[in-house]
Amino acid sequence: MQTTASSSLPVAQQAASMPVPGPTRPYGRYLYLAVNIAILIFLLAPIAIVVVFALNPTPFIQFPPVGVSLRWFEKFFASRDFMHALWFSLEVAVLTTVSATMLGASAALALARGNLPGTRLIVATMLSPLMLPAILTGLALFQTYVLLDVGRPTWGLVAGHTLVTLPYVVRTTLAVLHNFDTRLEEAAQNLGASPLRTFFEVTLPLIKPGVLAGAIFAFIVSFDQFPVSLFLVSPGNETLPVTLFNYLKFDLDGTIGAASVVSIVLAFVVVIGLDRTVGLRSYVKL
Amino acid sequence: MMKALGPLSRRRFLTASASLGIGTIAAPYVARADDPTLRITGWGGKWGDIMKAEIGPAFESEFKCKLQIDSAFPYLPKLQASSRSAPIYDVMHTNSNEQWAAAEMGLVEPKIDPKLVPNLADVYPYAISDKIVGVSIFTSAIGLGMRTDKGYNGVTSWKELWDAKYNGVRGGYVIPVNSLGQAFLMMCGTLFGKGQTDLDAAYMALEKLKPIKIVDFTGAMEKMLLSGEVGMCVIHDSGIYRYDGQNQPTDFVSPSEGVLSLEQVLTITPGSKMKELANAYVNYMLRPEVQKRLAETVWYSPANKKVKLDAKYDAKLLTTPEKVSKLIQVDWKWYNERKDEIDQRVNRIFRA
Amino acid sequence: MSASIEIAGVSKVYDGGVRAVDAVAMDIRQGEFFSLLGPSGCGKTTTLRMIAGFEIPSAGAIRVDGADVTHVPAHKRDMGMVFQNYALFPHRTVAENVAFGLRMRGLDKATIAVKVKAALAMVELSGLEDRRPAQLSGGQQQRVALARAIVIAPRVLLCDEPLGALDKKLRQQMQFELKQLQKKLGLTLVFVTHDQEEALAMSDRIAVMNGGRVEQVGTPTEIYNQPITRFVADFIGDTNIFRGERVGPNLDVGKGLILALPPSEMQSTGVLSVALRPEKIRLSPRTDAAVTAGSCAHGIVENTNFLGGAVLYRVTLEGGHRVLVQQPNAGTSRLFIPGNGVTLEWTPADLVVLKD
Repeated sequence: MQTTASSSLPVAQQAASMPVPGPTRPYGRYLYLAVNIAILIFLLAPIAIVVVFALNPTPFIQFPPVGVSLRWFEKFFASRDFMHALWFSLEVAVLTTVSATMLGASAALALARGNLPGTRLIVATMLSPLMLPAILTGLALFQTYVLLDVGRPTWGLVAGHTLVTLPYVVRTTLAVLHNFDTRLEEAAQNLGASPLRTFFEVTLPLIKPGVLAGAIFAFIVSFDQFPVSLFLVSPGNETLPVTLFNYLKFDLDGTIGAASVVSIVLAFVVVIGLDRTVGLRSYVKL
Repeated sequence: MMKALGPLSRRRFLTASASLGIGTIAAPYVARADDPTLRITGWGGKWGDIMKAEIGPAFESEFKCKLQIDSAFPYLPKLQASSRSAPIYDVMHTNSNEQWAAAEMGLVEPKIDPKLVPNLADVYPYAISDKIVGVSIFTSAIGLGMRTDKGYNGVTSWKELWDAKYNGVRGGYVIPVNSLGQAFLMMCGTLFGKGQTDLDAAYMALEKLKPIKIVDFTGAMEKMLLSGEVGMCVIHDSGIYRYDGQNQPTDFVSPSEGVLSLEQVLTITPGSKMKELANAYVNYMLRPEVQKRLAETVWYSPANKKVKLDAKYDAKLLTTPEKVSKLIQVDWKWYNERKDEIDQRVNRIFRA
Repeated sequence: MSASIEIAGVSKVYDGGVRAVDAVAMDIRQGEFFSLLGPSGCGKTTTLRMIAGFEIPSAGAIRVDGADVTHVPAHKRDMGMVFQNYALFPHRTVAENVAFGLRMRGLDKATIAVKVKAALAMVELSGLEDRRPAQLSGGQQQRVALARAIVIAPRVLLCDEPLGALDKKLRQQMQFELKQLQKKLGLTLVFVTHDQEEALAMSDRIAVMNGGRVEQVGTPTEIYNQPITRFVADFIGDTNIFRGERVGPNLDVGKGLILALPPSEMQSTGVLSVALRPEKIRLSPRTDAAVTAGSCAHGIVENTNFLGGAVLYRVTLEGGHRVLVQQPNAGTSRLFIPGNGVTLEWTPADLVVLKD
């Protein structure tokens, strides 16, 4: 069957589906390289521009840059508003990561293992915040909080962030659970491990890469979150993206670039840190 | 040292300095938990800095209250989403067009009672005209921003913006999201047609402005002018004057046809539980000394006639009845009713 | 100490009404190598999983040394298990895998170390303690799985097709070693396999399962020589099965072929099935002599299949029946080629009467 199917392909299509061209077709290889380099440039260019903006001493984007200065970084670190926003964003991101990871991983486990009725519907519901424009999620939550008369507390912001980061954790955890060999858990039980012990000795370590990938997504999505925060931040407790947005309306200078560089570095540090401490690499194919 | 202070330690620091008698001039009032809280909106930037550092604390201290300033946009949707009977703000500070939209929805009170806000008696007529909801406490003048190092001399009229020599260095705004752009559109009707409401004339004029660089934030326009990417643009005076003393090759031109006013408007929400305090705040913001301090910080023209600015500011801002008479106010009520239609039309013009 | 297992009328019905195991009953004796043999879907693995405690029977009871364990959770059953894919913990080293069960039993570190060392030595894996399972060959993984299961000195060792993933040579070696180990430790071992040769080679007794039921329980020779049912005869080894009507001491299987029934067969009447193993038939060049009715027939070799130690012929009889015949390759006798006329002879006592 396989053979008939593939041989019935038009000749051109067959040629296209051939593996990466070997030395006999160098142009294809150059093209392949060129396309990849172009994609890389496209992905990295914004970061490069931000860095140039942050280091250039003039208060506007300028090419070529006229020099290198740390004045915008000084301004950023000297600003109480920015520093407060930075720490607040970190606090929210950490709380969000913890809650989204615990809720998301447990939900994924229940969905993958629980034999629950309507599993597909529940999964769809859990992933739905991804499909809804985040600004609407923020507005709806804001309205809910107003109705409940709870104000705009930090936990409300964390709840909002958790809502939009949960899908990432659920998705990545479900992905590892999908490939999970349940016989490993049976083996543990057979060797005398109680269900709880089995979870901590076998299940958790093995789904860790997926859970951790979800946690990293959650951290980054929360740390960079703008639309959901927009309505949920309270006066005096604004997250960094909201502060940047407000700053942008009045002072468009290199401080924005410096703040972006600091954000990127921080996010990077957190990801690397998580990787180093908890371990991101999976040991084997499950 | 200071930059590492968090909110808590900052408060401790302020308390400490107050008890030592350091901050006697604007003795920071340390609010107690059971003090009434006045919830207002306010700008960021330099305005926000001085509000937080001086004007706000002085108000708190005098009126024994807590001032909670929301400087995170967007104010109107947040107010709209909250309950009418328990609004999220007591006083809303925003531009005139947004105030009109809020008033139309009944989210803010259309007028301020002069009996409750005595300083209202001292404001220029524009500040409480029929084009204003609430009271305008400051205004900026929208005119033309110029580079002074490119030989563009002797500009006196708005119409010179259409001169072909500015092709490629002309600057304007994304009209649907920017007040300056909207006001400018109305000006086009006045310049080339029967008046502000002559939209057809305005659309034709906008069509002829191309090529034009358009931005959404006014701040971005300031930077484009500073970098020389733009040589002539529509801008408000404070966007030029705030770089005073930096020797920037830029200047503000008040066209002979008049300048558009960009008002800073305060309104009170009907459902506010802090009406008395809200009126006190509006009155406070109109006080000559508060007006002077803010005007000289952000280069806004004060609405109170009695304000005496330092010579440097007095020379450039609208501080006399003659100067104020050059202000053209936009009929935002009229504009807001047609906003969707106008947005669609201008989007088509600038997309093509 | 090894235990006996009693499976008493156990059934397993899944949601949707699928009856995976249907009233299975058997007694597995202490220290016995007991195989569950059958095609896939016959219920052998489900039966094993019920013994292990991974599935709960819908009906019936499982007793270990007389004590009912039907509802005892898996982790309290004290049984070792070797899984089909070994189910080694990929995030742990070889030594940690083997130590797992001991750790769960709360043994102290020193004792664990000693026992792990001994277990790895027993399966000849000393020196590989710190490897991860992914760094081992299939055979090595299999030994780790075995060491992990036996180090806890289980009352019963359960094996679910443990050798299925190994190549033939390695599999034979492991069969031998597993059997040795089982004897040495006196383990009660329940072994699930679909490979009849493996079951015949290793088991003390075999339960042949089909469609959720036990067809026959017996020693390998009983299963092979005296299959009770047509399924068992057909499943175990190659066989010729004839079906026909009993006429006096003979069976008329049609197409002119009459088989003499074994003298011991007295009870059956009517339509019967009989089995005749290919190696019970003797083959010689065709002679013109008349055939002895009931134990002799003429035919033509259709094809040959050289097995090394033996040759398997497919012969078409004169009436049209097709018969498998296996002859030892003695090296002296000549081999037939397709087209050769041959005479087949057998002893009526070698016919086995089957239940349908």
